[in-house]
Amino acid sequence: MMNVPGSSASLESGPMAPTETRRQPILAAMIRVVGAKGYKETSVADVIAEVPTSRTTFYKHFDDKHDCFLAAYEMLVEEVFGEVVAQCDGEAPWMSRMTDGLSTIVDRFALDPALARTAVVEVAAAGADARQLHWNAIARFTEYLDAGRELTPGKELPENISLMSAGAVSGLIFDELLAGRADKLPERLPDLLFAMLVPYVGPQVAAAEMRRVAASAH
Amino acid sequence: MARATKEGERWKPPRGRHKLPPEVVSRSQRERLLEATMRVVAEKGYGATTVTDLTRKAGISRTTFYELFEDKEACFLAAYDNAVDGLVRQINVAYEAEERWPDRARAGLATLLAALAADPELARLALVDVAAAGPAAQRRFRAAVQRLTPFFDEGRDFAPGGRGVPANASRMAAGAVVGLISDELVEGRADELPSLLSDLLFATLVPYLGPDAAAREVGEVTR
Repeated sequence: MMNVPGSSASLESGPMAPTETRRQPILAAMIRVVGAKGYKETSVADVIAEVPTSRTTFYKHFDDKHDCFLAAYEMLVEEVFGEVVAQCDGEAPWMSRMTDGLSTIVDRFALDPALARTAVVEVAAAGADARQLHWNAIARFTEYLDAGRELTPGKELPENISLMSAGAVSGLIFDELLAGRADKLPERLPDLLFAMLVPYVGPQVAAAEMRRVAASAH
Repeated sequence: MARATKEGERWKPPRGRHKLPPEVVSRSQRERLLEATMRVVAEKGYGATTVTDLTRKAGISRTTFYELFEDKEACFLAAYDNAVDGLVRQINVAYEAEERWPDRARAGLATLLAALAADPELARLALVDVAAAGPAAQRRFRAAVQRLTPFFDEGRDFAPGGRGVPANASRMAAGAVVGLISDELVEGRADELPSLLSDLLFATLVPYLGPDAAAREVGEVTR
């Protein structure tokens, strides 16, 4: 990374600094409160009490609850995917990169159940814009998944198997979160892996990878 | 999924003095209310729907409403389950009419897609907007997906290596199918749902048969 002399100091004291430093805690509070209370039940009052900050500050940054939620969701996606994409981008073989990427998501969700609930369950209740952000996030992961097509060259696999793969995985994660079992997600990793890999490699190979990961976890 | 007829076309118990037993009257009122509820919520959204909207559409009194259900949510959950029952029954008929599991799966999926495409408004409510109706409704939605898993589970017996496939592969495959359909509904392409058949069939078969055999089965259907 380039080191521009004085850049960090000027950022901290520049006119943007107070705005950004007050905005970020509001976004983080939104994610926590929605994860705990549900999107519908969350009010602006809940969020500012969680930070804590004033109503004036809140409305200086956001039009309303929905506007703030969308910004918070974008931040959440960047945060989680920053880690996941780092796993998916490596030099390792496709299958182990996908395994690592998925296990990063699962571990992150298990560590922070409120974030997981907001990311997967509550986003569905927050309107079409929010659902679009959710789909965009899934699409970022499916881009990496689709490199799995190269494992079966010349085969006519359907165009959107990556969506099937992601749909199966997120359905399973959704179930666990809805049942309040975020902490149990890492135990489901072998199943999730099978669902993710099987459209590309078939049941035998997917089950073998599943057993490998299950064995290494114990 | 139950199709609503236009208002006035539906059979109602005769007004005034009649000899219908009270439980028949009440059952017809309940059914009317359940269909009206799905229709109104599909049009207005769950949040904006009031009990008055429901009683007006169903042509029943407020008193009757509260005799049948505690509140709007209880009524919506019953209406949702009722719609899912209807859909699963239709799928089951088509599924049972075929012999080989891949053919059964194809028939069941085709029926599901046709039913959803015929009533896009209800389809969207059943699969997408149900999430906005609160945690209880979300659990009902997952339960509805769960009810589809027996159709997938048969793949374990059909496929040569099917016994080695994890037990909840059916849950994953059902999730993949529902996910693909929801995606199409979110994009407002309900009328194109039937064209998803080959992809959904692939998603159904692949956990049990693998990509090669699944693609072959799909190819035989489309040709």
